[in-house]
Amino acid sequence: MATHSSPNFLSFREKSSARRARRIVAAFLIFSAVLTSAYTALSLYIATQLVYAPQQPLYATPAFFGMQFHRITFPSREDHVQLRGWFIPGVLPGGHLTAQRTIIMVHGDRTNRADQGAGLLKLSVAFAQHGFAVLAFDMRGAGESPPAPLSLGYFEQRDVLGAADFLRSGQLPYPELGRPRVIAGWGVSLGAVTLLLAAAKEPAIRALVSDSGYPDFASILEREVPKRGHLPPLFTPGALLAAQALYGINFYDVRPVDTVARIAPRPIFFIHGDKDSFNPSTNMFVLATAARSAPDAHVQTWLVPGADHAQSFNTAGQQYVTRVTDFYNLALGPDTGKVSGS
Amino acid sequence: MSTSSIDPTGSQQRISVAPHEALHGALVGLIPLGLLLFVVVVVLLLAALGRQAVSAVGFFAQQQVAVSILIAGFIATIILYALAANRTLRQVALWQRSSLHVRSRFALWALGFTALVVMLPVLLALLLPQHPTP
Repeated sequence: MATHSSPNFLSFREKSSARRARRIVAAFLIFSAVLTSAYTALSLYIATQLVYAPQQPLYATPAFFGMQFHRITFPSREDHVQLRGWFIPGVLPGGHLTAQRTIIMVHGDRTNRADQGAGLLKLSVAFAQHGFAVLAFDMRGAGESPPAPLSLGYFEQRDVLGAADFLRSGQLPYPELGRPRVIAGWGVSLGAVTLLLAAAKEPAIRALVSDSGYPDFASILEREVPKRGHLPPLFTPGALLAAQALYGINFYDVRPVDTVARIAPRPIFFIHGDKDSFNPSTNMFVLATAARSAPDAHVQTWLVPGADHAQSFNTAGQQYVTRVTDFYNLALGPDTGKVSGS
Repeated sequence: MSTSSIDPTGSQQRISVAPHEALHGALVGLIPLGLLLFVVVVVLLLAALGRQAVSAVGFFAQQQVAVSILIAGFIATIILYALAANRTLRQVALWQRSSLHVRSRFALWALGFTALVVMLPVLLALLLPQHPTP
């Protein structure tokens, strides 16, 4: 209840109390505005840094290892980003080339299709020498592909889907080899995440190898953003929301753990280094458990002794190639030597 | 609810108070918040539209447009919010001088609530649980 009385009757005490109330509220308003403005500005800055990765040049081509290959360009699915890559035909024992079983190679973040650190080009060559054609490409914002924000799989999954579309209906560089009879995928780190997300949407990817994948990216970012930015963890949600406002990237949605079960009955081979200092090897079992939740799942795991993050191939060497090609041979069947119509 | 009082000219009049006065005060106090939310939504929509409009040009152009819109929107938001809050506080002072206590009190509570809502993103970021990978 209030009274309405003449201002002339307001006592000095009342005036002073009214002024104090206004000042407290004004101070609270200023404090909140300054605090939130500073938080927003810093979050926007962190978001711009988070998604920017300088593009690394390729250190070599398959020709360096004596392999035939063609440079290719194909569009990503949905947004048609023109991606660059190589198509390396598989080599059969008699020296004949083949494209019947083609593996899409997906690299990790802040690197490219040759990725010297993870030995990606060497592995592509090894697969080709075992009779598998290889489509190795640079995801958006990497290598020779156009600049793009690093979205940790949120947009990059369209690149993998674009690669699958290209193999099924694009203009392939070796028309005499026909179209691939089967398509498989291999991905490392971010590439593994991207491949898992894409394969859940694209049944044409018939078998997958996920090396050093993550169940979700938010938990990695919740560790890395404060660590790299030397900031308290409270800036992580702000930066992730700012990335959504700036680039339309929803990092909270990059969760292969939620979609991996949809890949069944197609087989998945999870590989992880037991000395992975960036992405704990327990994450492989989280993913494998999620994948096995499908009733008709075919899941294998391999914990590579002594391997750090994305170093399983470099650590296990020939054993890695043997185990992975055995997996593909079993999942995709042998090369029949026949050429499929294009 | 109503009460009798005497206005500055000395004539007696009946005025309705609590519910109407409280609502009036609260609504005026919430104007800065309403304006703030409206501008934020408009800026976010503009940023999304701007991003879409230049998506074919490339990432750097897209980033430049989005950052420019957000920075301009951010500054515009702060200015509009400060002006609206200042105007409301002046209005409250006027009501206090006119002894419209219920109205002024509710307007101040609404402004306090506004400050709390403005701080909400920071408070949520502080309080919401995070599960960083070890």
